[in-house]
Amino acid sequence: MTISPKYSFLLALFFLCFNFELIAKPFESTYEPLPSVNVLIKNANIYDGEGNELLQTDILINDRKIAAIGKDLPVTDDFEVIDASGKWVTPGIIDIHSHMGVYPAPGVRTSSDGNEATSPVTADVWAEHSMWVQDPQYTLALSGGVTAFHVLPGSANLIGGRGVTVKNLQRVTINSMKFPNAPHSLKMACGENPKRVYGNRQQAPSTRMGNIAGYRKAWIEAEAYLNRLNEYESKSDEAKEMGYKPPRDLELDTLAGVLRGEILVHNHCYRADEMASMIDVAKEFGYKITAFHHGVEAYKIADLLAENNICGALWADWWGFKHEAYDMVQANIAIVDQAKGGTGCAIVHSDDAIGIQHLNQEASKALSAGIRAGYDISKARAMNWITSNPAKAAGIYDQTGSLKVGKNADVVIWSKNPFSVYALAETVFIDGGLAYDRESGFYPSSDFDIGIINSNKNRLEE
Amino acid sequence: MFTKIFKTFLCLVFVGSLFADTTLIKNATIYDGVKNIPFEGNILIENGTIKRISSANMQADFVIDASGMIVTPGIIGTDTNIGIVEIGALSVTRDDSSDIYSIGFSIHDAFNPKSTLIPWNRSNGVTSALSLPQNTSSPIGGLGSYFLLDGELDITSNKDIVMIGNVGGSSNKSRAETFAVMDDLLSFASSINARDLSSDSDIADLIEGSPIADFMELHPRDVKALFKLVNDNLPLIISTHRASDILKLIELKEKYSLNLIIKGAQDASLVASQIAESNIPLIINPINNIPDSFDELASNIQMASRLEKKGIDIMFNTPRSHNFHLVRQGAGVAVANGMSYEAAIKAITSTPANVFNIDQRGEIKTGYFADIVVWDADPLEPSSMPEYVFINGKAIDLTTRSSRLRDRYTTQPEKPNTYRN
Repeated sequence: MTISPKYSFLLALFFLCFNFELIAKPFESTYEPLPSVNVLIKNANIYDGEGNELLQTDILINDRKIAAIGKDLPVTDDFEVIDASGKWVTPGIIDIHSHMGVYPAPGVRTSSDGNEATSPVTADVWAEHSMWVQDPQYTLALSGGVTAFHVLPGSANLIGGRGVTVKNLQRVTINSMKFPNAPHSLKMACGENPKRVYGNRQQAPSTRMGNIAGYRKAWIEAEAYLNRLNEYESKSDEAKEMGYKPPRDLELDTLAGVLRGEILVHNHCYRADEMASMIDVAKEFGYKITAFHHGVEAYKIADLLAENNICGALWADWWGFKHEAYDMVQANIAIVDQAKGGTGCAIVHSDDAIGIQHLNQEASKALSAGIRAGYDISKARAMNWITSNPAKAAGIYDQTGSLKVGKNADVVIWSKNPFSVYALAETVFIDGGLAYDRESGFYPSSDFDIGIINSNKNRLEE
Repeated sequence: MFTKIFKTFLCLVFVGSLFADTTLIKNATIYDGVKNIPFEGNILIENGTIKRISSANMQADFVIDASGMIVTPGIIGTDTNIGIVEIGALSVTRDDSSDIYSIGFSIHDAFNPKSTLIPWNRSNGVTSALSLPQNTSSPIGGLGSYFLLDGELDITSNKDIVMIGNVGGSSNKSRAETFAVMDDLLSFASSINARDLSSDSDIADLIEGSPIADFMELHPRDVKALFKLVNDNLPLIISTHRASDILKLIELKEKYSLNLIIKGAQDASLVASQIAESNIPLIINPINNIPDSFDELASNIQMASRLEKKGIDIMFNTPRSHNFHLVRQGAGVAVANGMSYEAAIKAITSTPANVFNIDQRGEIKTGYFADIVVWDADPLEPSSMPEYVFINGKAIDLTTRSSRLRDRYTTQPEKPNTYRN
């Protein structure tokens, strides 16, 4: 069937005016990967991110994907061969909690763009519109094997706005860093931060009960908005033409996206009792919490998290900076992982530009604490905490997060077992493109790094 | 189950050592905090001190077989607020600042030996610590003290053994002003005679006669501290990063013969030769490679290794005292990036003891206090933990609030939570 230009113009106009859902989404990813290299990594020890350890095994990267994993894969002229004897290979590391770009280095007031702390509910703001693409911290994370990370707004607000998942490839625009087809997230925050920020201004919320009331009021509005939208969208085309179109609301767009299951909720929450209350709020309004972040007390309700399929995105050992972070247990991550017969979802997160460079070490601390607490957890399983589990929580597990044939070739070669402090990421591939190579000094430099100490050198050059 | 056995075991060790006059740690791989290579040996502890280190077999009331384990001196925290800050964001638990005093503000009398940071850091191998106040209103000022982390209410400490200060990028003034104030204060301090300090009213006269002291509204305590700084060779830790600031501080050090230590020093590799020549020890966080301000552009993960090659005395810190023990992880990262293992051990043991004149600690040496850690594996692997920690020769119970919470939520499921141990 062909459509006359005139008719198609009218049709387009019709959609533009009456159905904003069908407008091409703004701020779509324009990501283009690095030049593709076809590589055969020989004789590596592998943690595949699915809980398996494969010793002295080959892995083939072809046309940006993991093409094969197995013993003695044939060497051909089509592939560059890397001898990884004695080395370790893992999926690219993923951080589910980063503020790189929204709190870039140098940490100066003028680029401190992580908290729109002007109202307790700012579901309308998107972290990607604050991210500084020239933040020199991305490269440092890359040197720690990080291939993708999820950037969230800060925790000043009850509902802080949308988070974004990006490839760890520094580019000139944020859209060209965005992870293709990754869902947005919604940052929510419990506890001390929102009640402190707004309580200090003599406005709500100033208490934890004020916090909960604040979320519920927002979700009641979102429910009503979604009902109006659904009602309108269920009408016939003629009825739509005659009827009143619900006015668009940026804040409620985001919240309705959560209620529709399109946007994943990432909830900053330390205390066990508050996490439990947040689960009730989610049930009241029919949305799902993908992960609680920080959750210093997650071990107290590990079974509840597992029953509700909620991940705990946690530190290995941070504590004491706030009262709600006082009850730290180093086995927290392991306890969450082992809940309900090992069906829990544990993630090691950083929330820190130094920590993101050493997530393997953070996982190592969490693992050893778990073993000391009496759990039988393998290193191969602990590797999931920084690869497949964060990939699942970011909604990109179908594309990355483990070394499976057909997935994106996001691959790290480590000098030693990555659970050792002495292990260094030597080579990092993102989508089958060489992003980092320690030995040859191949790594990206942000514009910030150029000529800033000595005009003829980059910042990290000696 | 494992935990339970382990706890019982530790408990027995603890009780055993309480009644032991002598303890022997045998077959240990010893990093004594000074020598560049480890050695195998037996350490005999008697009356709180190291009686003998030998390859010969010795008898003791209590014997630990440390075969395959690494033994080091207890870690000395060089830059902490242990005992003076319990919860960072709760001002009622913070005792690290003063409204009245600046240069002479001492945190010593605020030290809480029952802080939960003490058992936690101790069970992770930190046996003593230098606690420092926040920066004061004066660019030079605030006194830090050294504390043994034995948790006893009858504290063992070295009071006011170090002064702090800072200079660098600031939102409200030029660093040129900061250097001028430092110079004026030091010049004032150098002009003071001991007899001028005989009474507070004499000191008040001194203050009135000094434009800088008068302008800064110094108190007699402040003046006494300044006097001590320039006359008693008191270690002065200045926080700064930028290379040009480091050079400026070297000038001040030479001019006033200061016992200068520089903390932070993220640009240090740009002026490493000058730092080495001026014999300035550094306190650095080896894991911090973030160019977090315009003063820290040379931040680099290889900094520790580069400075070691210049022969500079290096100590390590970490910004969060709750987990000060994570200096071990920083030290491990430094080694992964080129520093020698031995220098990394020194940086958290003997170097701080030497720099801050802490007598008879920081090394495993005959006659020294027995502050000793027996590690279950390589102490620079953050996954390793102490098997035994000795402070003044006493085996420390490694139970912490954190381990209690862990056990409460992983054992005794038959009881309601709050009725568990």
